[in-house]
Amino acid sequence: MAEAVLSFQDAQHRHKIPAPRWSKPWAQRLGPGIVDLNLKLYPGSILGLVGPNGAGKTTLLRMMAGILPLQTGTVTERIKSDEWTQVDDLRTWVGHMPEQVRWQGRTTVRNILLELGEMRELQEARIDGLLNLVGLQHRQDEHLDNLSQGMRQRLSIAAALLGSPKVLLLDEPFNGLDPVAAQAFKELIQRLAKKGVSIVISSHMVAQLGGFIDRIGLLHRGQLLDEGPLEDVETRLALNGRYTVSGPDNIDLDQHLKDINFEHIELVTDKDGWSLTFRGEPHEVLQTLLSNDVILSSWSPVAPNLVEWLCAATGMDVQDISLEVASSALLPMRTKEVGEDE
Amino acid sequence: MSDFGRIRSMAARIRRERLFGIRMNIMLPILILFLPGMAWGFSDPNIILPGGHQPSTAMEVLFYASLGVVFGATMCAVLLSFDGVSRDRASGMLEVRLAQPMPRQHQATALVLGYLQSILIPVYGLMVICLVIVRIRMGEWTNLEETLVYFVSTGLILLWYTLFALLASTTAKEQGTAVAFGVGVWFFFTFLWALVTTMVAYASGVAVGEANDPAWVALEGALDLLSPNGVYHHLLETQLPTVDRGVPVWQTWAAAIAWTVLPWWALQRRMEALVP
Repeated sequence: MAEAVLSFQDAQHRHKIPAPRWSKPWAQRLGPGIVDLNLKLYPGSILGLVGPNGAGKTTLLRMMAGILPLQTGTVTERIKSDEWTQVDDLRTWVGHMPEQVRWQGRTTVRNILLELGEMRELQEARIDGLLNLVGLQHRQDEHLDNLSQGMRQRLSIAAALLGSPKVLLLDEPFNGLDPVAAQAFKELIQRLAKKGVSIVISSHMVAQLGGFIDRIGLLHRGQLLDEGPLEDVETRLALNGRYTVSGPDNIDLDQHLKDINFEHIELVTDKDGWSLTFRGEPHEVLQTLLSNDVILSSWSPVAPNLVEWLCAATGMDVQDISLEVASSALLPMRTKEVGEDE
Repeated sequence: MSDFGRIRSMAARIRRERLFGIRMNIMLPILILFLPGMAWGFSDPNIILPGGHQPSTAMEVLFYASLGVVFGATMCAVLLSFDGVSRDRASGMLEVRLAQPMPRQHQATALVLGYLQSILIPVYGLMVICLVIVRIRMGEWTNLEETLVYFVSTGLILLWYTLFALLASTTAKEQGTAVAFGVGVWFFFTFLWALVTTMVAYASGVAVGEANDPAWVALEGALDLLSPNGVYHHLLETQLPTVDRGVPVWQTWAAAIAWTVLPWWALQRRMEALVP
């Protein structure tokens, strides 16, 4: 793994929400937001930022994009192997693709990129290169109103790439994309990662990120609960090494597997057969079952879903998590800090 | 490209978009009716205004015709720019723009210049036609100073209403609020200000509506400094020697500067704190 390029230390941005009083009708207080963010971004990595609705994913990305200011904390960039310097304007560093930009109007794809390019003082040749990169070179004279959703997403990513960013932030980029467009979009993102761009991609659909991200960050109630390489986080939260094996006949599995050391997680039996979820060495389990003439229908590794990630990271059960998401997900878990106007 | 170049370029894009948009097609007939139409009417040699007054100079005609600016052009300025920010916010484009490393104050300046130009260009074009109409009907041009004050003060009142509408647009989360706020401010100063003046006069013991009462004239003149339309008329009145409402010229220009600087400063502050 290459060295980190950008580092956020104790970064915080909390929205100000109205809290009128008789004596001060315009008073505001700090509300939901991002609290104590410590995060390093690595070149060429794809960080999946997952969390339920209202966890603060969009706020976090906006903060990282320089759209929302840091109220506390610092952002530093690596200039040498052990030398860091403070970043003054994140917007020169970061490309940001917001969720669902409705590109509309009679202006053309090329003109809108030129317009945004002027805000970054870019040369026209850069626009041509970008149009080729995102596959919009044949649509550059198309009016924005005529673009499909997939094309709009490509335009969004082209806009995010205008400043040749070292970090690319993508907010729920798969929303509204059909499977074909989503796959093409994934390949485009992987190409960018191979070029050394650090990519942060937010989603509440963990399955969409499967096999695609190499790091994961779990966000809940404005806090990054855990972050790191996918396998490391899985191991830390004991969500790794899980497999499911199933078969058609109802048999006494415990009898067959009594001599093997593995963690029995769940056994489901019904009229169609059985399904066992376990943690352990899959080869040993499979070999034992097959040597006992047990007929198998399937076996596969089990990837954790969002609920499992969150339950494991927070230590709460699914009911508590769902209640929180429905009622108070917008409140940061830690609310009291010295000198803070609550 | 320099900072100024970027501002100019962004303003030019807004100007192009608005100048040739559907809204302008709808508003242009209104502007033609209100500006050259009024200039034509008030320059009629046989016109007798209520009170038996007859405009005798070209500047006097333009002063009366400026009602078209107050009623028509300012409304068009509001209707062009009321969604200057809220539309981008609704479509997600605001977030894209705010993510660009162009300072927000520069973006705000570009917005103001772009929207101002899009109403100023047709209005100035029609004002030139007004001058020609007055010349044809009365055989008289306005002098250079009068023409300058006529154009500058009209530019200023359009700037003020553009600023109000953009300020409203930064506050509004959706289009309905933005248009209600923008049109509300226009309605207040254009139609309801007379009511405010009357109420203050009544409370001060001044005879309401007595055009020949010096106390009423002085009070109305002073209160007009608190209204953009009033300041606009004060500016034009500086070129009418027969009109004296007791407000010194420096106060008029000071009020004009205040009406320019304060909303501009407020807009810059709003843009700095803007959340997409």
